[in-house]
Amino acid sequence: MAFAGGFIFRLRSWRRLLRFAGFATVAALSPSTYGPATRAVAVRQIYFTAWQILPWYILFAALFSLVLIEIVATAARRYGLALHALELILRVLVLELIPLLTALFVALRSGAAIGTEVALMRVSGELQEMQAAGASPLHRELVPRITAAAISVASLTTLSCAIALVLAYVGLYGFSPWAFDQYTRVVGQVFGAAALAGLALKCLLFGLAVALIPIATGLEAERGRFKSAPLAVLGGLVKLFFVIGLIEILSLAVKYV
Amino acid sequence: MSTEREPDVSPLPKDLGVKVGMLLALTLVVAAAFVLYVLFARGVFEQTQRVTLIADNAEGVRVGMDLTFSGFPIGRVRRITLREDGKVGIDIRVPLSEARWLRTTSIFTLELPLVGGARIRAYTSNLKDPPLEHLAERPVLRGDTAEEIPRMVASLRAVLANLDQITDTGSNLQESIKNARTVSERMAGRYGVLAGMLGGEEHARKVIASIDRANALLASLGGISLKLDSVLSKTDQRVFGQGGVVDETQKAATQANAILGQVRESLKQVDAILANAQEASENAKAASGNVRAAATDLAALRAEVEASLRKVAQLIDEINRKWPFERDTRIKLP
Repeated sequence: MAFAGGFIFRLRSWRRLLRFAGFATVAALSPSTYGPATRAVAVRQIYFTAWQILPWYILFAALFSLVLIEIVATAARRYGLALHALELILRVLVLELIPLLTALFVALRSGAAIGTEVALMRVSGELQEMQAAGASPLHRELVPRITAAAISVASLTTLSCAIALVLAYVGLYGFSPWAFDQYTRVVGQVFGAAALAGLALKCLLFGLAVALIPIATGLEAERGRFKSAPLAVLGGLVKLFFVIGLIEILSLAVKYV
Repeated sequence: MSTEREPDVSPLPKDLGVKVGMLLALTLVVAAAFVLYVLFARGVFEQTQRVTLIADNAEGVRVGMDLTFSGFPIGRVRRITLREDGKVGIDIRVPLSEARWLRTTSIFTLELPLVGGARIRAYTSNLKDPPLEHLAERPVLRGDTAEEIPRMVASLRAVLANLDQITDTGSNLQESIKNARTVSERMAGRYGVLAGMLGGEEHARKVIASIDRANALLASLGGISLKLDSVLSKTDQRVFGQGGVVDETQKAATQANAILGQVRESLKQVDAILANAQEASENAKAASGNVRAAATDLAALRAEVEASLRKVAQLIDEINRKWPFERDTRIKLP
């Protein structure tokens, strides 16, 4: 297998990545993939990716949201645009920043780990042995991880977005219940069917990218060559960040251009 | 999974499945609640009434924007269509709970402010009018700030030019203000409003002096009239009063009348005597032929009496001429 470490943006590497993504998506969508062993891998992956970091991530998201809400509210008030502060917060924070931040957080926390794990399995020859034994490493080891990462990203995004929605209300109106109608109206305006579908699709793509790309590039590590592992992981992370950025830009372009 | 792999760094808890299940359940519940909330916020669970607003231009209007009444959002734009006649139909859904604010006489406006999005507003002057029917079509009045500005600037420029002209040095306004200041300064001076009206203290002083003189004149006239009054009253007393001229004259005239009456009586008696004498003389003539001389004497006496009678009549005439107050102007003569 060609060593792709030095040439992260090599076309062949991307083609291989896309092919792997296709196989993995098909496998992830077929119910036969999920046997008890696969499910155990997926549960373990969700535990590592979402549960373990949940308190800290929620705290981080809450702090980040609070600061941003305060900045937007103050600036909007100063420019006499307080009416549009909530809409701005919902559009910027809930629809864009929190999903992006979650994807980046999970990519750093778990994407790197998954990529390294797969690269090491590849170097140690575990995956090759499995394949030789007639079991599909794609179905048994890789697809559960991809699904679990996608679910984790969706879960973290949902929870932190909910926190941000509550904080936006408190930050703008305090604990008064009388602004609920106004708040509801703006929420109704911002979260149209298209916006909700776009958010869900973006979450899914982020989740898939976070696991798929490190795994696909981790597979580029060569058996017995430990030095190929770090390069494969590095290439995977760079590609991952690139793809996350691309998804975000595409989603913005579709929404606003 | 091969045994060659190193064990996980962190040990796996026993209730792994429960924890992950809880997380997934929580996520699903939150997501479902949020979707329901958004559906509620978008009015999916509410029955709505449709109103179509007809505009010339849909600029600034977007799907999802509010229709406000008194600043409160009561409806939402659902659809914008370009109609066959080239006008724009803005389809608005108003929840039935808010539809009571819209009446048949309601007016709709579309405003494009400089900052912020367009606003569609409804105005209802009389809330007792019949309610707006379902699927009603109403024209919308359009007010565009950006379109208004050039027009406003043009008219403002004209106004400013006028203002400039008015406030220019030597302009009518400035002259007027100057005059007003002069007048008010004079008014604030010693002779006040009088000086302001007459245009100087000197004139005012003259006027005041004239008034003083007129006052003095009036005072002396008062004295004169008092004196005249007393003179008149005295005259009145002397002429018409008790024992006055008129009174005395009247008395004299009465006395003269009485005298004349007496004279008339005397003359009558004389006349009778003379008649008797004539009769006696004629008898005597018959008796004695020497009586003719006596008769001639009697005629002379009679002429004398007539002469004195004439004199009395003349006297009465004269008195009457001189004193016209005599009431009984008739003088009876034999």
